[in-house]
Amino acid sequence: MATTTNYGWTTPDDTALVKDGASAIRTLGTSVDTTTKNLNPETTLGDIAYRSSTSNVNTRLGIGTTGQVLTVASGVPAWSTISAGGMTLLSTTTLSGASTTISSISGSYKNLYGVAYGYTNATSNNHFIVRPNNVQSGRFNTFSAVGGNATLVDQQTDICLSFQVSGYTILRTDANNAIFFEIKNYASTVAYKPVISGGYYVGAGTDLVGFGGSGGWSNTSAITSLTFYNTGGNFSTGTVLLYGVS
Amino acid sequence: MTKSTRPTIRIHNIEIDEIIDREMNDVEFAQYQADQTERATAQAEAEAKATAKATILDRIGLTADELKTILG
Repeated sequence: MATTTNYGWTTPDDTALVKDGASAIRTLGTSVDTTTKNLNPETTLGDIAYRSSTSNVNTRLGIGTTGQVLTVASGVPAWSTISAGGMTLLSTTTLSGASTTISSISGSYKNLYGVAYGYTNATSNNHFIVRPNNVQSGRFNTFSAVGGNATLVDQQTDICLSFQVSGYTILRTDANNAIFFEIKNYASTVAYKPVISGGYYVGAGTDLVGFGGSGGWSNTSAITSLTFYNTGGNFSTGTVLLYGVS
Repeated sequence: MTKSTRPTIRIHNIEIDEIIDREMNDVEFAQYQADQTERATAQAEAEAKATAKATILDRIGLTADELKTILG
């Protein structure tokens, strides 16, 4: 009996009797129907098909849910939900007193990202620092740029986010300042924590004094609190937004 | 009642969203005083250094920018 090249469907031989034609057509039609269905197993809107381990037989993959992406699992396509990422706002804290501590920080994230703005004090100009777990440890280099080349202006064991640069007096009651900082791998109990920061303060003569800093907190303890100081005096105003970065 | 002279601090427990404003305890106040001393010392050293630098520049008749140009 003759068969087709690709799918092996049975067709009448050239010598087959005409009287057997109806049966032959029915056999061929059944084969075509079966093969077509095997290659198109989808049943529902959005379904897709992929080749199975059996030749000429595809497998149905039902449509995923909103937001899922197509990935590979055990060698075949599969829908997968993307791991939650991005930033989660953990707290909005108003700065007050000689220091302000954000405590009970969850250890469920990869990094901590903070933004501080509008911080003022009415006493004197000095350093605005953040101290993890209220422990002074590490090495932090702060660079400043005022309309020119960046210069190393400070190096100390505190994470210094901003301070008065020689020749550029801080307008300490001007709330138009802002800085950010990021502490990497903050929940680790075995590694030191690298830190970066940047921002500016408003100086006398409306100079914007830019800062950048890098260094780290040389401590293997997981960070569970952050204490902010303005060593020039009590905070009058100011806000810190703290985010967990997944 | 004796009026306290110690600075106050704020603690924001973000797990339960509780804010406490209180005076520094003994340990915190000791650290605060040590920080103040350290900053004052560092600031005095920086100012002394800046003054010495300005004095030298003045003696040789150069501005800071002119010195940067020479060294650059």
